[in-house]
Amino acid sequence: MKLIQTLLAASLLWAGTALADPPKGYPFVDFDAGLKAAKASGKPIFLYFGRYGCAWCDHTNKKTFSDAGLKKLYSDNYALVYVDAESGKRLTLPSGERITEAELGVRLQAFATPLFVYLTPQGEKIFQAPGFKTVKDFQDYDSYVRGGHYKQKTLLEFLGSKS
Amino acid sequence: MRAAALLLAVLAWPAHATWEWSAPLTVNSAQGAAIFPHIESANRQGIAVSGDTVGVVWEDNRSGSPQCYLALKPATAAQFQPEIQLSQKECYEPVVLALGGGRFVAAWEEAGVIQVQLLPGGTPLHLSKAAAAQVTLGGRGNAMYAAWAEQAGRFKRIVVANLALRGDTLSVKSVQPVEAAQPIDEQGWPALAVAGDGTLTVAWEDRRYRHTVPMVSHSSDGRSFAAPARLTDHRSGSVDGLGAGTGAMRPTLAPWGERGVVAVWLDKRDFLSGYDVFAAFDPGTRRFGKNIRVQDNFGDNMAQWHAGVVSDASGRLVVLWDDARDGTPDVWLSEWNGEAFGDDFTVPSAHGPGAHSDPVAALDAGGALHVVWLDRDEVAGTRVRYARAVRK
Repeated sequence: MKLIQTLLAASLLWAGTALADPPKGYPFVDFDAGLKAAKASGKPIFLYFGRYGCAWCDHTNKKTFSDAGLKKLYSDNYALVYVDAESGKRLTLPSGERITEAELGVRLQAFATPLFVYLTPQGEKIFQAPGFKTVKDFQDYDSYVRGGHYKQKTLLEFLGSKS
Repeated sequence: MRAAALLLAVLAWPAHATWEWSAPLTVNSAQGAAIFPHIESANRQGIAVSGDTVGVVWEDNRSGSPQCYLALKPATAAQFQPEIQLSQKECYEPVVLALGGGRFVAAWEEAGVIQVQLLPGGTPLHLSKAAAAQVTLGGRGNAMYAAWAEQAGRFKRIVVANLALRGDTLSVKSVQPVEAAQPIDEQGWPALAVAGDGTLTVAWEDRRYRHTVPMVSHSSDGRSFAAPARLTDHRSGSVDGLGAGTGAMRPTLAPWGERGVVAVWLDKRDFLSGYDVFAAFDPGTRRFGKNIRVQDNFGDNMAQWHAGVVSDASGRLVVLWDDARDGTPDVWLSEWNGEAFGDDFTVPSAHGPGAHSDPVAALDAGGALHVVWLDRDEVAGTRVRYARAVRK
């Protein structure tokens, strides 16, 4: 009986933790909580638009977000938001409009997951980048965003000027 | 040679040449930059035609909180009548079903519970027992059902109610989950269709395979359901040990032909070009067949959104969605020609500059197609628009 209870508890834990696919160990929160935290802290928002069961999200989590330095860089300096591409959960846009997480994908014109979106603390989009990214990519994006370069240059111009 | 040329000309003739569209009408009376109408709902049931009356439901925040509204338009009226508010508390994802003779049933989520109401008149009837969302309706003759996603332990599961109408009174005959067991992952966005033989089909989104898979079940009485089967023929499974499978979401259903049912959903099996519109047919065997991509090749490299299907006993079948292949979101349609889906075509007033999205539709008893969509304008506000099409 005790074994059955243990197995049941383990299966529930597994089901609960696997409901969505943010990388482990990062303080990701939902859109509304992240927008509120960003406004309060003045930190930019890093929005991870993922899909439940997405192979490339899984790959990015294991290959890139497992990096301890990246975890610290993004955990310390961003309001981390995770959005589930197929969820009916509701969120409130900076305009006041309430839409579902899935509908946010329509507004972002998302065609693939993962999609990474950087926003100002007020929720205005800076840029978005789809697909697998390396640690170096995310370090460059961080420099572009927190260095304020997005106010003068496109991402491509910024990346070109670094090389 | 001449015959071949004639055949080619006939084959090249666009399908939309057979539809004649009315001038569009605006349905919602309150618009503004901070008013956001939505016509999203389970099975995309935002419009129904009852006798000669068109009913349209939506949600908007004009009062400061999301509320649900119904607007009616008798066939002889030039405009929609002023809308009536259906809800008192925060309301989402309303749906409407035609009963005939100008009567409707509407259902919606209000403060986390499911309400259903006969209209005009009638009073709201509370259907769910726990936190619930994403209600849909289905019916044929005297049979009427509602389905929604209701909390059962850690996750929501699909629950079906068999409804009865006597005079002007709606009542509940039974309420039954599709599966008796507690869900092992999230379920949601149900769709219902009652086929010509009275069989109830229910489809929904299901995450039991660790990714989103549309599932389907059948019932002859709304009380006992067949074991769920996958609607999609695309298999689950990881790739090189990564992930669990591609996503497919928001299944919609419609009765089709004498005994059949058609399903349409958004499918990401081609994961680099966003969701595509896919369809499958149950000819009456209570098994859905091979999945068929609906949109044509010109829409192949573009994400499709908000797909839905309408069909009728005569076999007419139209699929609607929006995509931005021409630069901005437009409403697109494709008709089933008996063997394949034809070339995509647009609703003329839901195409061109601006954003036209979120189509919902109904076929009336005479075969006319009624379409509602959103015209988004960040300055002037979003309009709920309506147009009717008849065969030329």
